Amino acid sequence: MRAVHASNLTFGYPGGTPVLDGVTVGLDPGERVGIIGPNGAGKTTLFMLVCGVAEPMSGGLEVFGQRVETGAFRPEIGMVFHHTNDQLICPTVREDIAFGPQNIALSRQEVEERVDATVSATGIVHLLDRAPHELSSGEQRLVALTGVLAMMPRLLILDEPTSDLDLRYRRRLIQMLAEMKEHTLMIASHDLEFVLETCDRVLLLDRGRVQADGVPADVMSDSGLMEAHGLEVPHSLMAQWHRHSAPAHADSDG
Amino acid sequence: MHVPDGIVPVSVAAGGFAAAGGVTWLSLRKIERAHTVPRNGVPKASLLTAVFFMASLIHFPVPPTSVHLVLSGLMGVVLGWYAFPAILVGLFLQAVMFQHGGLTTLGVNACIIGIPALLAHRVFTLRTRFGARRRAAGTAALGFVAAFVAVALGAAAASLLIVTTVPAHLDAVVERTAVTALLFAHVPLGVIEGMFTAIVVLFLLRVQPGLLEERF
Amino acid sequence: MLARATLAAPTATSLARWEVRLKLIGLLCLVFAFAGVNDVRLLPVMLATAFVVYRLSSLPFRYLISRLKVPGIFLVALAVVLPLFSGETVIAQFGPVALRLEGTVSFVSIAARFVSIITVATVLFATTPMPTLVRAMNSLGLPPLLGDMLLFTYRYIFQLAEDLSRARTAARLRGADLGSVRSVKTTAYIIGSLLIRSNWQAERVLAAMTLRGYGASRARSPRHAPQAWDVAGLVACVALAAVLALFPVLVL
Repeated sequence: MRAVHASNLTFGYPGGTPVLDGVTVGLDPGERVGIIGPNGAGKTTLFMLVCGVAEPMSGGLEVFGQRVETGAFRPEIGMVFHHTNDQLICPTVREDIAFGPQNIALSRQEVEERVDATVSATGIVHLLDRAPHELSSGEQRLVALTGVLAMMPRLLILDEPTSDLDLRYRRRLIQMLAEMKEHTLMIASHDLEFVLETCDRVLLLDRGRVQADGVPADVMSDSGLMEAHGLEVPHSLMAQWHRHSAPAHADSDG
Repeated sequence: MHVPDGIVPVSVAAGGFAAAGGVTWLSLRKIERAHTVPRNGVPKASLLTAVFFMASLIHFPVPPTSVHLVLSGLMGVVLGWYAFPAILVGLFLQAVMFQHGGLTTLGVNACIIGIPALLAHRVFTLRTRFGARRRAAGTAALGFVAAFVAVALGAAAASLLIVTTVPAHLDAVVERTAVTALLFAHVPLGVIEGMFTAIVVLFLLRVQPGLLEERF
Repeated sequence: MLARATLAAPTATSLARWEVRLKLIGLLCLVFAFAGVNDVRLLPVMLATAFVVYRLSSLPFRYLISRLKVPGIFLVALAVVLPLFSGETVIAQFGPVALRLEGTVSFVSIAARFVSIITVATVLFATTPMPTLVRAMNSLGLPPLLGDMLLFTYRYIFQLAEDLSRARTAARLRGADLGSVRSVKTTAYIIGSLLIRSNWQAERVLAAMTLRGYGASRARSPRHAPQAWDVAGLVACVALAAVLALFPVLVL
């Protein structure tokens, strides 16, 4: 059984060019897949379809062997939104993290246990009684992630998780993701270094199609491919390339 | 709680505009007196008005139909004297963008929703009389009462206007029954609106109490 | 959520080019004259006027229909109540149900006024971009603070529509059932959060505006002198409105 199985997925608005134009992709359980691509490539749209928020115009979509029904609630699919503000709605962090578990009809005690377990795992116990709105964006990101993890999703979707993080929080997120061995991850990000560190596979999405699919270092070091889709080879890969090519260069000179 | 176009006589529509003009003038004067630079409150009042505008489009099911929030009470509570101009702006945009109609009855509707909003604000300020210990409960209770009363007053005014001005041939008993029926039909809305407002003011009290006190 | 609110693209017709202040006055005169029409004999004149104005705007008729739909629900309710319960003169009897003359007449005139008013209002709003409309209202005496609020609110409604829709989606993905009365609490939390976020955003917006000179002086809107054509339009509207308003007096 695949974690995510999309076949020929198409989505668009009437009269416009399709946002997703026949996307076929499969994810195995436990896989960590980065999704890269220029602005407007269809990354968030793909997520909205996987979560069942939007309905595909055509094509098939299954998550953990079950067809995705638009509008149906699937607690095993968790998504952390790009703008965490959209997600943090309760007066305190504690209530916000309990929000999801309460909705899956757990008992009061079970909810409390979940909250306690999840916040200690993500290390935000000290924030429990604060208002989410007054936290720093790094803290907000962690709270939003914790709120989703408290529902124990098997598929975790992160939309631009590092866009508002300083280096410290970014590092912390990378470590946390590295420790989460059970989850299947889908991460859309412009932070290619982050994708390089956290993912074992990458999809390059552009103009609604999967343009490349493979090992992150391979896909992202292909400068022709990257530039053709409005991206740049990440610095760490360039350095590698320089190291390999520099001596050869010197040889030819000498 | 909306008086549509074409229903009320032109004299009532004109009276509505006159009354709305008067209340607007009073509101602007109060705003000007409270501020050295009155226009500095504009971004805040407008952004909050936009929030209320969007919130008033949310429907809640009340079988066999559904109701949408009016938010007159909450607007009064949060916006103070800005509430009346805000409601005027909201109704105008509704007429422009959705054509719920209401251009000729803009004044009437602004009064029906806006004057209760100003009253709701007065009701809500009573909460300063609660001691610190009962602050939360008092705030929630007054939030509920303010919103319920605002809806009830608005509904009463709208029902009276529609029933008494529309058909010239209904007898007094039928008219009274119609008004009562319309009023009772608004009870679920009043309760939902009251609960909604109570929860929002409690939320604000916990997270950003300044929004309830600040008279910007 | 705002899908049904999309404004028709302002058309390049003569009505779109009509000097805005004159258009505003002219069409508003018509609308209010319509609101005052009581004489059944005037209904065809009123409907015809509205029809002609709409034709001149070159807006598609489908657009008008879509605008009439929502408020039309109220009309449907009246269509049942008035002809069956109002009045003494029975014009037709179907078993226990009687169709009454007075009720039918008052329903027909309400319906005609309603359709005519909304038709002309639709033309006014669909052929005038919002900022232009507000500037015109300001120059006709609308207090500047109200004009500013109108433009600001209009500007941020679209942003808030998206914020609200994303917040509701996020809550739904965490299992909130937003289709029930029990969701009042979640919705109240979402609205509370939006109020707080908007409050902060307003402070930033004000700071950014002040830095760019907001409030320093009142910007003058460029005025071009009305052409004879613009004035003719106004005169036609006012004359028609006057006929509709004075007809009862003239006939008596």
